[in-house]
Amino acid sequence: MFFQPSLHLRAVALLLFFFILLQSCGNGVHYEDRDVPSVWADMTLKLSKETPGNSPTYASRCLGYIGLTMYECMVPDYPERRSLAGQLSQLTSLPIPDPGNDYNYVLAMSAGQAKILRSVYNHTSDANKVSIDSLEMEIENYLRSSLPTEVADRSVSFGKRMAAAIFEWSKSDGGHRAYLRNFEKGMVHPDLPGSWKPPLFAQSFSHHPLHPFWGRNRPFLPANYEVEEPSFIPYDTTSGSAYYEQMKAVYETDLVLTQEQKEVALWWGDDPDDTFTPPGHSYYIAGMVLRANDEDAITRAETFARVGMAVADAFILCWRWKYQFFSERPNTFVSAFIDEEWESFWPDPPFPAFPSGHAIQAAAAATVLADLFGPDFVLTDRCHLGRRYDEERETGWVERPFTKFWDVALETADSRFYGGIHTAQDNDVGLVKGAEVGDNIGGLRWRR
Amino acid sequence: MRTLFFFLSLLSSVGLIAQAQFTDVTDSAGVRHQFKVLEGMFGGGACVFDYNADGFEDVYVTGGTNDDQLLRNNGDGTLTDVFSGSGLELTRRFVTQGVASADVDRDGDVDLFVTTITARDSARTIPRARNLLFLNQGDGTFQDATDAFGLTPLYSFSTGGSFGDFNADGWPDLFVGNYFIGYEGKLNVISDATIVGANQTAYDYLLLNEQGEGFTDVSEAYGAHHRGFGFGGVFTDYDNDGDQDLIVNNDFGYKAIPSLVYENQFPRKAFRDISKELELDLKINAMGSAVGDHNGDGLLDYYMTNIRFNRFMVSQGAGEPFMNQTKPADMNFVSISWGANWADFDHDGDLDLFVSNGDLNPNCVPMANFYFDNTGTTFREIGKENGAGDYGIGRGSVVFDLENDGDLDVLVVNQEAVLPNYPVISTTRLLRNDAAPGNWLKVALRGKGAERNGLGSRVTIFSNGRQMIREIDGGGSSHLSQNSKIAHFGLGEAASVDSVLVTWAGGKEQLLTGQAVNQLLTIEEVEGPPRKAGSWWWLVGLLAGLVAVGAFLGMKRS
Repeated sequence: MFFQPSLHLRAVALLLFFFILLQSCGNGVHYEDRDVPSVWADMTLKLSKETPGNSPTYASRCLGYIGLTMYECMVPDYPERRSLAGQLSQLTSLPIPDPGNDYNYVLAMSAGQAKILRSVYNHTSDANKVSIDSLEMEIENYLRSSLPTEVADRSVSFGKRMAAAIFEWSKSDGGHRAYLRNFEKGMVHPDLPGSWKPPLFAQSFSHHPLHPFWGRNRPFLPANYEVEEPSFIPYDTTSGSAYYEQMKAVYETDLVLTQEQKEVALWWGDDPDDTFTPPGHSYYIAGMVLRANDEDAITRAETFARVGMAVADAFILCWRWKYQFFSERPNTFVSAFIDEEWESFWPDPPFPAFPSGHAIQAAAAATVLADLFGPDFVLTDRCHLGRRYDEERETGWVERPFTKFWDVALETADSRFYGGIHTAQDNDVGLVKGAEVGDNIGGLRWRR
Repeated sequence: MRTLFFFLSLLSSVGLIAQAQFTDVTDSAGVRHQFKVLEGMFGGGACVFDYNADGFEDVYVTGGTNDDQLLRNNGDGTLTDVFSGSGLELTRRFVTQGVASADVDRDGDVDLFVTTITARDSARTIPRARNLLFLNQGDGTFQDATDAFGLTPLYSFSTGGSFGDFNADGWPDLFVGNYFIGYEGKLNVISDATIVGANQTAYDYLLLNEQGEGFTDVSEAYGAHHRGFGFGGVFTDYDNDGDQDLIVNNDFGYKAIPSLVYENQFPRKAFRDISKELELDLKINAMGSAVGDHNGDGLLDYYMTNIRFNRFMVSQGAGEPFMNQTKPADMNFVSISWGANWADFDHDGDLDLFVSNGDLNPNCVPMANFYFDNTGTTFREIGKENGAGDYGIGRGSVVFDLENDGDLDVLVVNQEAVLPNYPVISTTRLLRNDAAPGNWLKVALRGKGAERNGLGSRVTIFSNGRQMIREIDGGGSSHLSQNSKIAHFGLGEAASVDSVLVTWAGGKEQLLTGQAVNQLLTIEEVEGPPRKAGSWWWLVGLLAGLVAVGAFLGMKRS
């Protein structure tokens, strides 16, 4: 005897069939609100890594505007939080939602991210532009399915208007399309004792320094105009002098690098030709923390805004002083006064030394993260795992475990000392000034 | 302390040295040339060739944004620029870099290939241009054949060109080093994306000469397709197997793509990357590779120019990795080096080395050229003492016999300093060799089946118990430059040369014995079957025969 299902059972089976069919017709992608800021941060880092003409300066700037756009698209949904319009340099106003109308601010944020990314990474490949479009459509399609059409349209429009307004404001900061003028070929370098010299063991083919006028760019925070300039140990080639000893310490450490020190130097190198750059690394760590904490969408957006603006302003200040002091790298000094044959573990970047850009941005980001989440945090940075073993330096990619945010900054700074391209004073000053920038971020009025 | 940069106080000492081996005859010889960079450090080079077949070798020198020069050798130790009216004026529209010559169409005269990085007649957002091939018309003039040989679509930022004959068919092939990524055809649409993408590493060109009908890029088909910040290469038979291998110089090898060595699999149409096995995958700023057997062991050694310390890579024998002998050979001096030329300048029977040095314009710290005198076991750097240590911003350099007096002279291309106040005159220098007392022999090759000027062939002489080998330079055995195609040997006090062995491209050998010294010996290829070429096919034929016999016997049994 054959089994005869009841009518009820057949109806259930039919419904189940249609449900499965429906699922299989869609792409099956599911987004919690909190996921959306993070997937856009992932896309941001992908673009930074894969777009030619990359530089830590331009990358830091992008992170500032991208993070800010993320936050401003969402903040109207949170009455207890403040927009930064009126708080940032020459940013008097930003679009506001139409009162009385409904919005989905996650959808707005997603549309805004797509637009600001297309704008600041206008120079990325067609394939990457398609990636932006795809992610935008995927998120939009998912969110639209639960929204009235007019609400979805309005939200997308708001996000795009926000991105357009922030991008328009960005054009006057001094860094607009700066990837077209990475190296100022007409610049005549100061030629004083201790002046930076184009590297002979070089990270870049250019013998002109990177973005020499970046320090004149407009910082996001007015408070960062007021940061006091650091002092610099006077140039002195006398053995035993403070300056000489700074250089000698780099040299002597480099001669006896442990394997772990080599791994640290390699890990934090973050060459802009191959990676998302040092500020991108800070953005990446912020993303790790947010996912680990399972933070909500607005906390994620605010964190990316804070970290993005922190590293951007840190780089502006850093570049201001780099070109003010125009200081040499250890490779220049050591080969002239200590050991002619010495060559640093890591090649020289194409810009002056003091202070360290790695240190200042890492300190700024660490300060921001500690301010938000407390100083202690257990994390293991695995961003470079799987990269090709460095045969030249006989060093591999080994994950970096941490229990404090500040330790990330310290190791980032130390990595440049181990790399033989920064002295202790470059790092120490970078860390101090980066912390000041981070504190200034915390000093904005984020809450009502 | 060996000093990193040569301070100006040293300059005054140069003039105090008596009886210098080299005399700077730039002015008296009528040479007035300076390479002018577009921006940065790139270029230039020189090429030695007897364009008018009068028996005196002439020189072509690239000028960058200055005009190139065709320096006709007047036979009396002077040179005259006869560029205007030569048919080479088209180069004025380009920023030229390197130059090499060969009889591309096998019509009996020597043709010219000039690399370029961009056009001079209009500003380019992305600097690129075609390279230029000129056919010698046999009457002292040249005609542009770039398009006819299929080179126009190769829109590139090219540094050095080198001729060779890697398939040993007698038609000179061409390797072109490219620095920044090239394009197929012109760039019609330029966006921010194309601009930022333009500074990526380039693919080099391996151009097969289709029997005078044109060049075809066979780099992929031959397995020699690679990227890099290329400074050209050199065809050379590093493994003494009778075919031309290829060494590729790459800048920023420690960060981008290291230098490469391709082993020619001839008669198979393939190259094999053997860089790592030979430990010649140098991760340096390779600018050039000078070819020479410095110790007479019959194995070719290579001097790779670099930033700071050069690499003297000495052959240890077949299948063995090369060994860096820079320090043991006392050649460990700091500079920024470009051209390098092995030659027996003092006719004592071993190879000495001239090295052209110059800073990275617009950086302009004066640094003197090196002259390494071969002492038998090590080298002695005496550039400033013997008149070779000019402080100009050196780039490519060539050796040739200016006056046909049997010794080799030097021409060094110098760049103009971009920034003012460079403390010495930095113009192209001609250094006449005035102190080569021993005997000598020069050998010019005239190929019939082989390449007409002997590219891909080798001359070995035996004299007074010494063996000396020379390859005929097709270009690239000095930065962006090509030395004389006449093999030169210093013989010391030897009164005759026991034997002269020519190994023609493809492996055929030709032996002459009991040759007189102090002469230019022109050796014409005799007809005859190649010695080595086809040996592989003998094996294939033998195997095929065995298989056929086996199959026949099998059929009979069944």
